[in-house]
Amino acid sequence: MTNCSKRKISGHLPIAVSLVLAGCTGSQSTLDPAGQEAAEVHHLFVVMVIGGGFIWLAVIGLLLHSCRGQRQTWSEEGAGRLIAWGGVAFPGVVLFALLVYAVWLMPSVRPWLARTVPEPTQIEVTGEQFWWRIRYPAEDGVAGFETSNELRLPVGERVAFSLRAADVIHSFWIPSLGGKMDMIPGRTNVLSLLPTRTGVFKAPCAEFCGTSHTYMAFSVVVMEREAYDDWRRKQASGHQPEGSEGERLFIHHGCAACHSVRGTTPVAALGPDLTHFAERETVGAGTLANTRENVGRFIRDPSAIKPGAQMPAFDMVPQGEIAAISEFLAGLR
Amino acid sequence: MTDVSVTELSREEREAQERELREVWRTPSGWRYWTSVNNTEIGLWYGAAAFIFMLFAGVLALLVRVQLAVPENRFLSADVFNQAFTLHGTVMMFLFAVPIFEAVAIFLLPSMLGARELPFPRLSAFGFWSFALGGVFVCGSIFFGAAPNTGWFMYPPLATDKEYSGIGADIWLLGLSFIEVASIAAAVELIVGIMKCRAPGMRINMMPLFAWYLLIVAGMILFAFPPLIAGDILFEMERMFDWPFFDAERGGDPLLWQHLFWIFGHPEVYIIFLPAIAIMAMIVPTFAQRPIVGYSWIVLAAVGTGFLSFGLWVHHMFTTGLPQISLAFFSAASEAVAIPTGVQIFVFIATLLAGRVIFSVPMLFGAGGLAIFVIGGLTGVMVALVPFDWQAHDTYFVVAHLHYVLIGGMLFPVVAGIYYYYPLINARRLSDRLGKIAFWLMFVGFNVAFFPMHLSGLRGMPRRVFTYPADIGWDWFNLISTIGAFIFAAGVAVVVIDVVRPKHRQPKQEMNPWNAGTLEWISEPEESWGVRSIPIIKSRYPIWDQPGLLDDIKAGRYYLPDAQDGARETLVTSVLDARPLQCLRVGGTSILTMVAAFSLGGVFIALTFHWWILTLVCAVLTIAAIIAWLWTGTAEIPRLEERDIGLGKTLPLYSSGPQSVGWWGMFITMAGDSTAYASLMFGYFFYWTIHDDFTAGHAGPGIGWPILAAALFVFAWFAMLLARRVNAADRPGMTRAALISSALLTVAGCIAGLAGPHFYAMDPTAHVYPAIVWVVAIWTVVHAAVAIVMQAYCLARSLAGRMSARHDMDLQNVVLYWHFLVITAITSFGVLGLFPAVR
Amino acid sequence: MRLFPKEVESLWTLFTGPSIWAAHFLGCSIAVAVYCEKAGEAPITFAQMRLFLVLITLLALAGIVLSAWLAWRQWGFGSGDPPHDAPTREDRLLFQGFATLLLSGLSFVAVLFVAVPLVLIEACQP
Repeated sequence: MTNCSKRKISGHLPIAVSLVLAGCTGSQSTLDPAGQEAAEVHHLFVVMVIGGGFIWLAVIGLLLHSCRGQRQTWSEEGAGRLIAWGGVAFPGVVLFALLVYAVWLMPSVRPWLARTVPEPTQIEVTGEQFWWRIRYPAEDGVAGFETSNELRLPVGERVAFSLRAADVIHSFWIPSLGGKMDMIPGRTNVLSLLPTRTGVFKAPCAEFCGTSHTYMAFSVVVMEREAYDDWRRKQASGHQPEGSEGERLFIHHGCAACHSVRGTTPVAALGPDLTHFAERETVGAGTLANTRENVGRFIRDPSAIKPGAQMPAFDMVPQGEIAAISEFLAGLR
Repeated sequence: MTDVSVTELSREEREAQERELREVWRTPSGWRYWTSVNNTEIGLWYGAAAFIFMLFAGVLALLVRVQLAVPENRFLSADVFNQAFTLHGTVMMFLFAVPIFEAVAIFLLPSMLGARELPFPRLSAFGFWSFALGGVFVCGSIFFGAAPNTGWFMYPPLATDKEYSGIGADIWLLGLSFIEVASIAAAVELIVGIMKCRAPGMRINMMPLFAWYLLIVAGMILFAFPPLIAGDILFEMERMFDWPFFDAERGGDPLLWQHLFWIFGHPEVYIIFLPAIAIMAMIVPTFAQRPIVGYSWIVLAAVGTGFLSFGLWVHHMFTTGLPQISLAFFSAASEAVAIPTGVQIFVFIATLLAGRVIFSVPMLFGAGGLAIFVIGGLTGVMVALVPFDWQAHDTYFVVAHLHYVLIGGMLFPVVAGIYYYYPLINARRLSDRLGKIAFWLMFVGFNVAFFPMHLSGLRGMPRRVFTYPADIGWDWFNLISTIGAFIFAAGVAVVVIDVVRPKHRQPKQEMNPWNAGTLEWISEPEESWGVRSIPIIKSRYPIWDQPGLLDDIKAGRYYLPDAQDGARETLVTSVLDARPLQCLRVGGTSILTMVAAFSLGGVFIALTFHWWILTLVCAVLTIAAIIAWLWTGTAEIPRLEERDIGLGKTLPLYSSGPQSVGWWGMFITMAGDSTAYASLMFGYFFYWTIHDDFTAGHAGPGIGWPILAAALFVFAWFAMLLARRVNAADRPGMTRAALISSALLTVAGCIAGLAGPHFYAMDPTAHVYPAIVWVVAIWTVVHAAVAIVMQAYCLARSLAGRMSARHDMDLQNVVLYWHFLVITAITSFGVLGLFPAVR
Repeated sequence: MRLFPKEVESLWTLFTGPSIWAAHFLGCSIAVAVYCEKAGEAPITFAQMRLFLVLITLLALAGIVLSAWLAWRQWGFGSGDPPHDAPTREDRLLFQGFATLLLSGLSFVAVLFVAVPLVLIEACQP
């Protein structure tokens, strides 16, 4: 809460103070940074809030004073000097300083990747209505692989993201780590981030992208390097077929036509990859907590939960079979 | 009266003059009331309509707030929510914030400048009816579930996806294009009015600050709205005919729309803000009971803001992945614009400090608005810094910021203006008690509603989400915001009640209840003639500094105290020193403007539903109505050449060329039109920069045809110059021959212009390169078609004896149009033909 | 016939400073935008381009100083103080001079602001 105590100054209204005290922490908060860019921007913000608070108090104090009935009337020259110093000179200098600070900050939080040593790993993320396709590259002997709706990153290392959109404009934003970058059809944008502590963070789509824009989010798990490497190896190797009823039904009802579960089903790329699905925090790209019941509900009628989702409803499938499929997915660890 | 001694008129003579004036300026009764073109009626209708649209959009905002009050709420479906916030933003921006300034300007400016009317009253009426019809069309769509649902910024490819956006996007594009036409019409009217129709003696150093602001704002409209119109054209071509301007797969780029939209969108913020500050610049001196301190500083601020505001647009695009150095340029300009904004605040404070302040309801709203606006300004400085915006962009922090700016900087001053200027409408004041209640409800409600949004935004709440999970920590912020929104709405409701409650029993008050110093307070709510006689101005605050002014005006001791020939008249004066130049006769009550507006509305509405035949019928009707309006209402040859305007002064009744207001109107309209054209050409070169080979191997229009077309247009232009010259030499036969040959050359030019893309079989749906070539060619040809109509019009005027060597206003204006057209044609066909070869 | 009536030409002086700012701003942003899109084909390096734009900036500043000097002269070198509200041609001219001077000052500062990125950012990176 040390960050918060500084921010109390921003409280122009008593109500704001109590709200600020309600907490800055959170898995999706820019006020609780877990990355280099987020921390630098947070620092910039605190500086601006303190400065801005003083400026506001001074201006409003002057305004209230000017509206008082009993006071000395200023001379025209004095009033003219106030305009020149208060309205031009002071803001000119302050804004110039602030601009230099911010422009200097830009290349330092988002450095030129071609000159960064070592050149960071580049993870491809594609925004689709309304989920995230994620592709990890091959790295130190571990093959590349595709996953969806959950990113895992090593702590203390700069990672780059190559960002694309499949249909409409989306925006990639992990508030705890740093600022956002749009995903625009026809363009490839690059963003790099440097996580500074481990944890689980949330990342919403930040550009309005259609009916279920609200339900387009992903989780970010920042982990130590070894745990990260273990996770990658496991992801790259996929699953072994288990021959369960759920697995059979998953293929039988056509789930596998869109969703891959690497190692057990043929490769399909239309919908989110479900390999190691059970490790994920959420179902439906941040829509619901990843529980067996929620998975079943989602399969039965995705649009009831996530309006506008591309996945058709499977309400004709008997309850028991949906349960079996959910069981199968819950076992994908 | 000091300059000229006049013989005092007898009471009978005065009354006879008043009867004459009253008859000429009479507002029609019955249903014909709605055909009035008088600025006071138009201004009032405009304001009332804008206010009703505001209340409608406010209700939408309350629906949005109810939905967000608690997590996982099911009050609105995602789709209705998306329609509601899209329409809320659209209506507030296009149907309230911009039109309310046009309303106030049309209502106040003539009397403030000491004029009887603005120079083109029928154009104001046309603008109003266009606005009202377009507004009802756009707002009505939500009752059919067909409202636009892609956000007020309409980003493709979401908004070009017909399956998602349905007809809503067309309603947005066409409805708003129609309203933009109205705004540009108002801009033309205001610029010419402020430059040319001020009372004699009102030099530019003595213009009311309101007029300075509006001059700048109207200029900004002229350069800000056309890029959006150009964007709308590209957008509608993609939706209707599948021309791929924003489709990345066929060479288009969604970012072009974002550029065009925000080149409009950012200046628009200042187009909204400056007029509200202009109202403050009238209120503050009145309640400080002294002239403003720093008049020149305000002019600096208005002009400076006007320019700088065009260098900010990319700050809405800081997260689109443009090079950091480009972003930083726009960030720098966005910081710099804070300086002139700050100057204005300090001018007000300095004026208050140098005066003795009388505190009242308008001041309460003004000061409260300032307190809110300063917070919005400070957060604006924050989000204009690129690294901070990377975090704050598209979060509730920005929602808070923009509402602090617009409500503090625009709505509060507008309500202050309502309380201040209400006596001009009704000769009665609004209630002080209700005003205070309304203020505190609005002020407290506003802060309770919007302050928490800064925090929910920083805690990661993105914009435009229709609900949110309970465990993320936004629930309290949102609940408090919703409560605040309802308190705020209650305050607005109190204002509405105060305005509409019957006031018959309240006694009428004196003309200038606040003891203000500026001229708008000479107008009498009961009379529709504006000013009884047009005064000579010798001060920035004439009512304070020119003793006896009101009596002299009312007694008709100044210019134009009578109405001859039953014509509505006002004075045209010079730009800098306001020397009287001409007695201008303006159009009176007419139904033609209404017909023109409604049939133009028909064109846009029929296009939305792809009813091609109805579109055509309405288009023909529009053109017919406009021609009839011009034929009967403009460039009338007066019975006498000159007119005695009183005080021993005689002025011409007819002038043409740069002396005439019609020429200015044409010049200013074409400046706006050229901006739209420049935006299209920007698109052409934009595609060139983003692709290695922007033709993508598609055939171009060749070199021969475009060059031939350009040459034909140059010849046609020469023929027009010739027509003007021989007409001045009083040789009507030669004039007609020159007009006809110019028209034939123009037709040939059009054919040659379209032949290039046609014979090279350029398929506009295949790739963006043929599409942009076709659009540029068609734009030029459509303008040429308008030129042909104008040439035919001049020919007809000549044949009908309505145009002569001395009375050549029509021809002068058409030649001016041709100057613009020939530049357009040379640029278009030169670029289309030569650029692919030389790049 | 002239395209602009004479008196408008003298109203234009007010806009000299802001127009120079606008030209400079557009020049810098277009140059950079085109350079960064077409970096592969460009015959010059980014550093050379920055240097060129810095020179343009100095030129723009010089132009604004010139317009300020002309305005200062029109204002009578500060001989009279505002408000310049007398109903005379002289006061109108003094007002124009003073307002132009103020606008030149603002434009000067705005050009300096826009020059900051030229100094601090050394590549086309997004």
